[in-house]
Amino acid sequence: MRIEISGLTKTYRGGVAALDGLDLTVPTGMFGLLGANGAGKTTLMRILAGLVRPTSGRVTVGGHDMSTGAGRTAVQRGLGYLPQDLGVYPDLTARQFLDYLALLKGVDDRTTRRRRVGELLEVVALTGDADRRLRGFSGGMRQRVGIAQALLADPQLLIVDEPTAGLDPQERIRFRTLLSQFAGRRTVLLSTHIVDDIAQTCGEVAVLARGRLIFRGTVDELTHRARGRVWSVVTDGPPPAEGMVVSALPHEGGTRYRVVAPAAPDPRARPVEPAIEDGYLALTTR
Amino acid sequence: MTSQTARTLGASLRYEFRMQVRKRSVWIVPALTVVLFLLIGGSLLRDLFDPNERKGQPAEARTAVVGLAVQVHALLSIGFGCLLADRLIRDDRLRVAPILDATPARPGARLVGKYLGAGAATAVPILVVYFGFAAAYAVHTDAPQALGWALATCAVVIVPGLLFVAAFALTLPLVMPAPLFRVIFVGYWLWGNVVVPDMMPTLARTLVHPLGGYPLDALLDFHGIDGDDTWAGPVPGATLNFLRPAPTPTTAWLSIAVLLVVAAAALAGGHAVRARRA
Ligand SMILES: Nc1ncnc2c1ncn2[C@@H]1O[C@H](COP(=O)(O)OP(=O)(O)OP(=O)(O)O)[C@@H](O)[C@H]1O
Ligand SMILES: [Mg+2]
Repeated sequence: MRIEISGLTKTYRGGVAALDGLDLTVPTGMFGLLGANGAGKTTLMRILAGLVRPTSGRVTVGGHDMSTGAGRTAVQRGLGYLPQDLGVYPDLTARQFLDYLALLKGVDDRTTRRRRVGELLEVVALTGDADRRLRGFSGGMRQRVGIAQALLADPQLLIVDEPTAGLDPQERIRFRTLLSQFAGRRTVLLSTHIVDDIAQTCGEVAVLARGRLIFRGTVDELTHRARGRVWSVVTDGPPPAEGMVVSALPHEGGTRYRVVAPAAPDPRARPVEPAIEDGYLALTTR
Repeated sequence: MTSQTARTLGASLRYEFRMQVRKRSVWIVPALTVVLFLLIGGSLLRDLFDPNERKGQPAEARTAVVGLAVQVHALLSIGFGCLLADRLIRDDRLRVAPILDATPARPGARLVGKYLGAGAATAVPILVVYFGFAAAYAVHTDAPQALGWALATCAVVIVPGLLFVAAFALTLPLVMPAPLFRVIFVGYWLWGNVVVPDMMPTLARTLVHPLGGYPLDALLDFHGIDGDDTWAGPVPGATLNFLRPAPTPTTAWLSIAVLLVVAAAALAGGHAVRARRA
């Protein structure tokens, strides 16, 4: 499913312009969405899930016009959505909760539904806890229930808003691998603050800032933005005043700083190979 | 209604029923109310169960179980409305609403399913109490027809009244805090049911009387335990008398229809409020 967005603006009540004339095309496959807190990622995803109406602009998903009720329902039939701030019914078990959502997603046949719910509980490693009330689940376990519900109806479009927040490293890596395997000919839109997750999974990425698109391209292109701007400097004095310190490691004779800056922040600084996170930082800190 | 809409309604109904019927307060609130009822309503029970209380004239079965219904309905509906007040807004509070709203299931069908499911679950203890008393009465006085009258009363008085209350209990908390709704609801319930019309304007004895004055009067021919009360119709000098036609079977059915239509309007209003917030 291809997503086409043009001139998309969303102004919340109170006057916050969360999206400001956004133009973006999202092809099939894994697509990453980056941006600082408040950049508008969640707002964009909520519009694509049919939960929020734009103030102006045009959005089509797989050719369906999101400004009509029929268009939204058509998109929702093939949609898996994991909200950033996910809640569950504490009084249901994981299995019941998934069964309920499967019903709402139109998985009517009882046997199919049971099998599907069972498979997904297995996928998110919750089979052993499937019949416990969600009240007693940890944050990460709830997040996994959320992941399972997003995958229930074999969606053609999967929108996941910071899906790995709160997951332990094993689960996080397992999940991002799962996402890439899942993508195939489907569309997966992933927003995250863990830039590395995007590097490991997404072919293409967009970066939002204050509701506008400031970058769209491949992961390599994003990394390239930091070429000649990443520096390593060892000093026992104060950290470099110029640029953004990415890391500070103890080193013989002081501390080794990795800095993203337009020019050498210190006469002793040596240029180093950029990573994707440097590209993102070079783009967003000027 | 398409089959998909019917399935959505059925799914919400089942799960909302399941979640509500397991809530402890849904059982504790009516239980405490019954204790209160036994303390203050003791005289009614004595009227019903102790023939000596009524000068050797036991109330006949119909009067007894209908009278019981009025008491149970008037008291337990208060808790019923209060217990339903969180059901719709809790989807937002628990942050489940976004994933429900992102499904292709029609929100209107989900709302009706929630209404019927959560409403039925909250009504279960009320029906248990009512039919418990009615069965005890039937056994005690050896009058099995009492159970038939109890069923009839349930159908024309209790169920329409509860459907009316449930619609407002679900949707009004969308536009006011739930605790405020509960306070207002209790006030309304006493005002609209208990206050006599010549004291101040009230909905008591009108077609919009959730206690079911018209069906009590015209369908069940109930005129109080002692047989000399009326439950519906005009009161000389009272305001709103245009809402109080003479009680006949037709006006009684009309009054049930009015309650259901007003309930449907409240649900439609709630649905519109939610849709507007998108
Ligand atoms: N319901 C709302 N009402 C008013 N303002 C809102 C609402 N939701 C978001 N905003 C504002 O819109 C802007 C964009 O928010 P959004 O949640 O889309 O950002 P985000 O990129 O997802 O941020 P984060 O990385 O913190 O999740 C912010 O300024 C936020 O304060
Ligand atoms: Mg967000």
